[in-house]
Amino acid sequence: MSPAKWNIILKIHRQKQGEAPHFEEFPMQVDPDEYVLDAVERVWAFMDRSLCFRHACHHSTCGACGMRVNDVEKLTCITPIREVTRDGATLKVEPLRNFPVVSDLAVDMGTFYSRMETVGARAVLPVSEAEIENPPTTWDADESQYIRLADCIECGLCISACPAAATSTEYLGPAVLAGAQDQGLKRNLKLLELVDSEDGLWRCHSAFECTAVCPSFVDPARRIMDLRMQVIEERFKRLFRKP
Amino acid sequence: MEKQRNHPSPLKFWLWFNPIGRQAGGWAYILHRITALGLTFYLYLHLIVLGLLAKGPDGYDQFLVLAHSPLFVFGELLVVAAGILHGLNGMRIALTTLGVSVTRQKQLFFGLMAIAAIAILVFGIRMFTV
Amino acid sequence: MSKPHAIIIGAGFTGTATAHDLALRGFDVTVIERGDICHGTSGRTHGLLHSGGRYAVKDQESAIECITENTILRRIVPQVIEPNGGLFIALDESDLAYAEQFIESCEECHIPLEEIKPQEALRREPHINPRVLTAFMIPDGTFDPLRLALAFAGTAKRNGAKFRTYTEVKKLITDGKGNITGVNLLDLKSGKSAELYADIVVNATGAWAGEIVETVGVNVPVKPTPGVMVAFEQRFVQRTVNRLNKPGDGDIVLPQRRMVVVGTTSFEVDSLDYVPVLEDHVKLMIERGAQLIPAIAGAKIRGKYMATRPLIGGGEGRSVARTFKCYDHKEMHNLDGLVTITGGKATTLRAMAEKTADVVCTKLGINAPCVTAETPLLSYRQYYLQPNEDFS
Repeated sequence: MSPAKWNIILKIHRQKQGEAPHFEEFPMQVDPDEYVLDAVERVWAFMDRSLCFRHACHHSTCGACGMRVNDVEKLTCITPIREVTRDGATLKVEPLRNFPVVSDLAVDMGTFYSRMETVGARAVLPVSEAEIENPPTTWDADESQYIRLADCIECGLCISACPAAATSTEYLGPAVLAGAQDQGLKRNLKLLELVDSEDGLWRCHSAFECTAVCPSFVDPARRIMDLRMQVIEERFKRLFRKP
Repeated sequence: MEKQRNHPSPLKFWLWFNPIGRQAGGWAYILHRITALGLTFYLYLHLIVLGLLAKGPDGYDQFLVLAHSPLFVFGELLVVAAGILHGLNGMRIALTTLGVSVTRQKQLFFGLMAIAAIAILVFGIRMFTV
Repeated sequence: MSKPHAIIIGAGFTGTATAHDLALRGFDVTVIERGDICHGTSGRTHGLLHSGGRYAVKDQESAIECITENTILRRIVPQVIEPNGGLFIALDESDLAYAEQFIESCEECHIPLEEIKPQEALRREPHINPRVLTAFMIPDGTFDPLRLALAFAGTAKRNGAKFRTYTEVKKLITDGKGNITGVNLLDLKSGKSAELYADIVVNATGAWAGEIVETVGVNVPVKPTPGVMVAFEQRFVQRTVNRLNKPGDGDIVLPQRRMVVVGTTSFEVDSLDYVPVLEDHVKLMIERGAQLIPAIAGAKIRGKYMATRPLIGGGEGRSVARTFKCYDHKEMHNLDGLVTITGGKATTLRAMAEKTADVVCTKLGINAPCVTAETPLLSYRQYYLQPNEDFS
């Protein structure tokens, strides 16, 4: 291992309060098998102590280090530099879209987390409660074959990638709707009015970008479609139910 | 104020058309929006042309001459193409919403687009040869 | 009478837990953190909710702390814990020889233990090494590191604690006689500086504790000891799996989300702010992990990372006790107004906070009992639902 080092330029979005946003370039030597977050952390450790960025677990459990890397939403702690750039090239790192920027790469998760709380999305589950929804026949199977919503790490990548979320502050967004689907209308009928609304399920316009960027294979798009079926079923039933 | 810059806003509708960093679903989304705008524009154009009828047969005959020019036929082909693309992509959206092929939406999209390409080709040949 | 004001430096496990404890005891609390919550060691911990089994033989003090706190945390913050239990498995003769001591020590520390047959162990966890000779079930668990700290921080916030993140402590302010009266701050979000005064400053910077107090010319015996961990892309086991032997490198595998994480190693460094993930340590983790779960050898790596433990006292690497210590600098260096809490493990965060708050209360002559063991924590999302403090 440890092959030749790469020389790259890390182009980082900078923005301090009262300042206009701009990019700052940090030329640095990296091991291509390092992760993007390692490079960002080194900028903080050795080049600019004022760099603000969120991170915690460094292995895709916490969901704090979501950023836009060369215009694509990535969980930087598990994105090897080799996969997103090449020797001698520039690597652009920006904060997630559709979240207020606190400073530099750090964004404010307040609204997003309050919506996750509203729909009662569960986060850490005992295995007995976290059923695998489509279990593979063998455990050597491709990981993407099975999904558990308990894997949603609330990183916000889906909200950043969603084109519908770009134009509406009120849209609940993929992760939140996925959280509602995990609850299910059968379990929590109160969710019906919330998700069956202008800013709920029906604002999704089937771009499937949420599923494309999700680092945890939670497949929010499929969950939104499933929740639509649940809503249609519930509304249909009510047509025939005596008041 | 700076905090708001990264906020969602209706003024950011141009992001709908930004293909950078997008994948199949995103391209389908962009295609759907562009074809919809094109068809809406055509609808108004169509109404204006129909309005020519009210000016009597002479005006309409003049228009018919124009309508046979290759540029005009090409424009018509664009309308047909937009209709086919929008219609077939709409089927993808309807199907996935109903839970059909959700995990295979990419393949569904490419399959439908292949059908669209063939249909557009057939229409193109017919329109320019007849 | 106005509330006593405490400044806590560091929003890792100890900082957030101490904020929670002091807020409940009626303090006005301000937490200063140069990054976001869990910027340093805490976020990168293994995530093992220790039952104490690992320490039972060599370090009973830590083991008892672990089982006590394990039980309390399951009660007060179940929302961030997977209480799936853990296995200690024996793979060779030396492991079997260790078993006797292990059973005895666990009994002494009141750690519930259930011996299970190899077939039963393999039935519960089909991916463990089929050569397993015997196995013990213990009440280990796993927790989500960031969310554990957020639960404490969020609850503290609801009780009035203020958090200033992306704010660096530039220096400790002294009264001329050497006593600490506050801190000099730099807000990294705006570049603005400020001074903040308090009745007590708590240094909860873990592995960095020495760096902070160095600025006022004293030291604390904390020894930063990083370790490497490797996460694999498949959840091979549902419970933690430990090697039934003396604690060593790469002898714990635990499930997190859809992964398993193997840890850890132990080495020393000079610079703390960035510690490289050593490639030979990664190899060792794959090798050792594969002894416990053979499939790890061929599994895809999802992440490689390291965390720097704050170990206290003398000794080398793993021989250092894993307990914690709260230093009152008045007693140690005749410096009033400053308390340092360091050492310990994530599992004992609440106990560390209790001890620290006790010391603080005694110093300030405040009579308020600790109630954190009986106070359920709120949702970790509460932290984000309330805005942080800013300079305005």
